[in-house]
Amino acid sequence: MLASYNWLRELTGSDLSADEMAEKLTGLGLAVDAVTAFGTGLENVVIAEVRSKAPHPSKDKLTVVEVFDGTDAHTVVCGASNVPEPGGLVVLARVGASLPGGLAIAERALGGVTSRGMLCAEDEIGVGSDHDGIIVLTREDTTAKLGTPVATALSLSDSVFDIALTPNRPDCLGHLGLARELSAVMKSTGVRTTLTESFSIATVQRASGEFDAGGATFGIAIESSERCPRYAGAVVRGVTIERSPFAVRYRLHVLGVRAINNIVDATNLAVFEWGYPTHAFDLDKVRGQHIVVRVAREGETLTTLDGVRRSLQGDDVVICDGEGPVAIAGVMGGQSSEITGATRNVFIECAYFDPRSVRRTARRLGMHTDASHRFERGVDPGAVPSVLHRVAGLITSNAGGTTVKEALDVVAGKLTETKLTLRSSRIDTVLGTKVPLKEVGEILNALGFKTTPTVEGFNVSVPSWRPDVLREVDLIEEVARVRGYDKIPTEVPHVRASATGTANSIRFVRRLREQASAAGLFEAVNYGFVSMTDLSNARVSTDAVRITNPLSEDRSVMRTSLLPGLASALRRALRHQAGHAALFEVAHVFVRNAGAALPDEHVMLGILLGGARPAWLGQAGEYDFFDAKGALASVLAQWRHGVGRDGLTQGAPIVAHLHPKRCANIVLFGSVVGTIGELHPDVVSAMELVGRPIYAEMHVGELRAAIEKGDIAKARALPKFPSATRDLAVVVQEDIMASQVADTIRNASDGLIEDVQVFDVYRGENIPQHHKSLAFHIVYRDSNATLTDEKVDRAHKHVTERVSAQLSASLRS
Amino acid sequence: MSDDAVKEFEEGLAKVEASFRSQLDACGDEQSLRAVNARIAGPTGELTGLLKLMPKLPGDQRKVLGQKANALKSAVSAAFDTQLLAIAKAVRDAELSGPHLDVTLPGRNERTGSLHPITRVAYEIMDVFTSLGFDIVDGPEIDLHENNFDKLGFPPDHPATDMQDSFFINAEAGQKQRSLLRTHTSTMQVREMQKRKPPLAIVAPGQVYRRDDDVTHSPMFFQLEGLLVDEGVSFAHLKGVLTRFAQRMFGDNVPVRFRPSYFPFVEPGGEVDIGCMICRGYEGTKEALARQAECRVCKASGYLEVLGCGMVHPVVFENVGYDSDKYTGFAFGLGIDRIAMLRYGISDIRWLYENDVRFLSQI
Repeated sequence: MLASYNWLRELTGSDLSADEMAEKLTGLGLAVDAVTAFGTGLENVVIAEVRSKAPHPSKDKLTVVEVFDGTDAHTVVCGASNVPEPGGLVVLARVGASLPGGLAIAERALGGVTSRGMLCAEDEIGVGSDHDGIIVLTREDTTAKLGTPVATALSLSDSVFDIALTPNRPDCLGHLGLARELSAVMKSTGVRTTLTESFSIATVQRASGEFDAGGATFGIAIESSERCPRYAGAVVRGVTIERSPFAVRYRLHVLGVRAINNIVDATNLAVFEWGYPTHAFDLDKVRGQHIVVRVAREGETLTTLDGVRRSLQGDDVVICDGEGPVAIAGVMGGQSSEITGATRNVFIECAYFDPRSVRRTARRLGMHTDASHRFERGVDPGAVPSVLHRVAGLITSNAGGTTVKEALDVVAGKLTETKLTLRSSRIDTVLGTKVPLKEVGEILNALGFKTTPTVEGFNVSVPSWRPDVLREVDLIEEVARVRGYDKIPTEVPHVRASATGTANSIRFVRRLREQASAAGLFEAVNYGFVSMTDLSNARVSTDAVRITNPLSEDRSVMRTSLLPGLASALRRALRHQAGHAALFEVAHVFVRNAGAALPDEHVMLGILLGGARPAWLGQAGEYDFFDAKGALASVLAQWRHGVGRDGLTQGAPIVAHLHPKRCANIVLFGSVVGTIGELHPDVVSAMELVGRPIYAEMHVGELRAAIEKGDIAKARALPKFPSATRDLAVVVQEDIMASQVADTIRNASDGLIEDVQVFDVYRGENIPQHHKSLAFHIVYRDSNATLTDEKVDRAHKHVTERVSAQLSASLRS
Repeated sequence: MSDDAVKEFEEGLAKVEASFRSQLDACGDEQSLRAVNARIAGPTGELTGLLKLMPKLPGDQRKVLGQKANALKSAVSAAFDTQLLAIAKAVRDAELSGPHLDVTLPGRNERTGSLHPITRVAYEIMDVFTSLGFDIVDGPEIDLHENNFDKLGFPPDHPATDMQDSFFINAEAGQKQRSLLRTHTSTMQVREMQKRKPPLAIVAPGQVYRRDDDVTHSPMFFQLEGLLVDEGVSFAHLKGVLTRFAQRMFGDNVPVRFRPSYFPFVEPGGEVDIGCMICRGYEGTKEALARQAECRVCKASGYLEVLGCGMVHPVVFENVGYDSDKYTGFAFGLGIDRIAMLRYGISDIRWLYENDVRFLSQI
């Protein structure tokens, strides 16, 4: 909503500066986002009079004009075709002037004639959008002396507030409403309105009526009283369609509206004043001289003012004349009855339409018009007669003619008044401060609420322009708002502890994230939606939740895995020469849930590593499985006690996105909580990655359940007796896992082995094909005695024999 | 013969005695010192050789000469120790006064991961509220239209829903209820109040979705919803909690301004502006005011809008089965992305969701 500071000052009689007024509005909840100054930067642009004009001696389209600015005469060459005859008033930019668009006026020679200045068009000095000709003024536009700066002569100085109006305040979509608010907060005498009533309006409480429209009878009938409870009309005869006077055009200009003609401009002015859209029809094109308001019939069409042919449906409300639709109620008028240059008689419509109905039609037709914007939010049904008087008054003063003495106001539906009870004690409870009842009454009255004192507070009648006030608490807001939120004290409450506290699951996720980042992984945050192609390329479930109205196909289904998002981050890293990425994400995935309104959502942890591993002072190759496994172990470090180094990955999962021979289940305390492995080569190529990225994904709920199921680590006494270490290197077939060898070693001793650690893997010279050599440190310790060499040797020999026998391993010396 | 032996022994001792100290003292490093020491006192050393001759000495002189030889052996050993210490000290002194270690080489096994800026800011915010007694709750990103709009008091077909243009999801066969990607975390108000009875003090962070996509709007972004419900909760308490939050989060001196606004599920409703943390014009000095005048982030206003808030609308209480006369409460919502963007100087919201490692490793 744009609002003119000058206009608000006229209505309130306020002497606040523009900035002060903006601050007051913002404090009322009518947030002023920006203040734009108008009529500035026009030094040396003055009112001047044409003394003479003559065609340019050599240039066809130019005119040589002599103008007088009260002190000096200036010769100006002008390209416009509408230079007035001698005596006409124009706007002269003198040499030295610098116009708002940046144009500096200097002496110029044009075809041998020296032009000293420029006659300005509206757009050149920022007072309108017209560029068809220069500004030509009459003594009705300004009485200022020649040479008066144009800003003064035409009262151009204004500030326009851009107000971010919340949708609950349709009353503030007009200057009167804003002025009412300002008056309440300034405790001033109220809004100064001038309403001349040059005709009478007959209000009838039934569905139809007729009136004498100046010689002919005109009828109004409402067939859909729920969607149109009230419809009023008046007739103005004998108008002359012209441009509006400069002051009207300028006011519309600062409010961002193009001046059209003196009728349309009058209705627009009324919109900005009352916040109430009305519509002017060319009376002589209203067939049958009557109006019917009804729902559209299937198949009906109407060409609206914007030239588009609209198909109507049974849910739309239309204004019809004797033959069919002439306007879409509350949205836009039709072309057939449009005001044109030839219009002589005007029918003015002022009606109240049901907000929901207007909204549905406007949305369905994709027509968000200024009128629908206001009707959707709810105009003031009580204002209909006043607005009709005002529009008729503006039209006659703008375009001449006279309003026919009678007008008709058909009230077919119910117009209810909201009545509320306001308890003083409730105000104090909600606001946390005592507000004197006297002050409460004054505030409500200033805003137009009628109050009757009761024992507890007030009985309150809500004015018809406040559809948002429906309950006691809404009145409390009015009081708080006008007093100012800064008047409410600031008090930190004693928050009572809840029975539950923060759920473990939430604290767990935080620890997981913190562990992951400490393990050297960067956290990614991806959109919850992906494309179907992303899912199929990643070879994860495509049985995904679909978005009905996606912004694009790229973001049309909900992710079933974190892989697509992480993979695209890795792709981005590799493409932009970041070289590598080590990422994790903790987020929801979505699983369809047949027969339920909502899908299942699971929190997942995804880890993706790819590219060159950062090495210390030198190159160290690409990330591989063991980097990911190490990262995983670091993430889970505080919970994987007792699992040991080897236990984290066991057995191969059956998942399509991982390399079938280079993957594993993630196992914690006996539960499979996720999978880890190199991405399947097909996934790597489909997702346009390179190398062998490694991906791990875990179901966070299952991970936490496994951890909670596992025993809490118990501290053991430190050993009293020394240990002895022996190494063992064995050659085994490739498909024998290190953990199998380690387990065999462990099981081969009689409780003397404390620890087994693999320290080398070797393939190559002296090792047969499809075999590998694995070397282990074996730590022997007897918890009750110092081990003798003989005892260790005996145990180690036994271990060696068992490993050889059970795993067909040969010793490597 | 024994006299000769005695003589030879005595001469040997004298020779060692005369030279061992200078020989040892001449050694500048541990290795040569040990070599010299071995030549004298090692298994095949000069002095060791003499000691081996002891049994051949006449019995009457053996004791005296033996004592002499042992005294010399001790003296050698002491001299060795002294010189060894001297050498060690020289080495240490040389290092202490020598060239500096190149400490600019990178650390080994450096872990360079990080939490996403949104996560970091979210946890920081949550820490403030948990310290004030709020619990953290979470819930689904896809929710019923009812929880997202209807129960929060959004009138059907009302322009208020335009503020939150929604993504709907395709319903499963036979489902009549409309579901959507939640447009705000306010769904958690409905969910938690339906689950538990007052007193209730919660914050709910999470992803929300709206059909916008430009430099300042992302179709997915993060909000944090807060709710306190109990008997006697007032707007003054709302101001107290949010002022405390703003000061913990942005500094003790940051000004906080409450002004009226509208959200269907609160009444009275408001917005909270805090002093611009970029220009800190509120410091009031000449320099601060000059910064404010130039500040693009707050557009020279000195304030930034960070929170929406208000007293829980009684209709919301009624929709979840709370006694709206007995209980009052306040709710607030803030955009985590916006705070992260302000904090880390992020000018385009899309950076937050591109996951460019070059971006992630900056912050």
